[in-house]
Amino acid sequence: MKFANFVVPEAIRADLAAEDKEGVIREMVQALEGAGGIESDELESIVRAILKREELGSTGIGRGVAVPHTKHPSVDRLVGTVAVSSDGVDFDSLDGEKVYLFFLLISPPDRPGDHLRALENISRQLRDDTFCRFLKQSKTPEDIRQLLDEADNNQFGS
Amino acid sequence: MSEPKLARTVTVVNREGVHARAATLVAGTVRRFQSKVELIKSRHRVDGTDVLQILSLGAAEGEELQLEAAGPDAAAALDALVELFRGKFGENAEADKQEK
Repeated sequence: MKFANFVVPEAIRADLAAEDKEGVIREMVQALEGAGGIESDELESIVRAILKREELGSTGIGRGVAVPHTKHPSVDRLVGTVAVSSDGVDFDSLDGEKVYLFFLLISPPDRPGDHLRALENISRQLRDDTFCRFLKQSKTPEDIRQLLDEADNNQFGS
Repeated sequence: MSEPKLARTVTVVNREGVHARAATLVAGTVRRFQSKVELIKSRHRVDGTDVLQILSLGAAEGEELQLEAAGPDAAAALDALVELFRGKFGENAEADKQEK
């Protein structure tokens, strides 16, 4: 499940304006909507579902990374996006630290395998310090796109 | 690890596999014990306290993982993990909550 298989390139954000958890999620889902990755009239429902999932336990899994996500019946394949916050956001992370890198995933309810494989890919790439560092230092969505491409082409260790 | 290792094999029986919430529960469980615990799938060996590493195994429904533990409470640590996998990480409880 390469990044190219689920990340909507036009929804990538290199400097999130939001300063809190709900703000980040909303900004990223709006970016997906703007890019045509999700239907406009499903936006609120999706944001609510992602926030509800956060209530079960923060997806701030440590090391400055969060993977907010939900299943949603309005999508027929996995869609997602990537965003970077230069100042970091408090996300109730497991390690208590701020989050700078966000991978948001929306998956169809009947395909848990796709979601899992996306998480597997994301986490494998993030184990590489260079990938993390470059991602955090990204200035433009194009920078991020390029990094994801390089990751897909195994430029970073796994 | 210089201490004797204990090992158990677990099968992933929940539909969603070892996803973010499951990996978080695994890491949280391992951290309750003093012993060092590793999870192995195929040739990948990861640290049981590290959520990102656990996720990188991409352990899906039906797959087997080896658990290895070394330390004073290794047996208890493995028992707790086996129970966690068997209980599907409380998945049915989660599904109920989300529907409400």
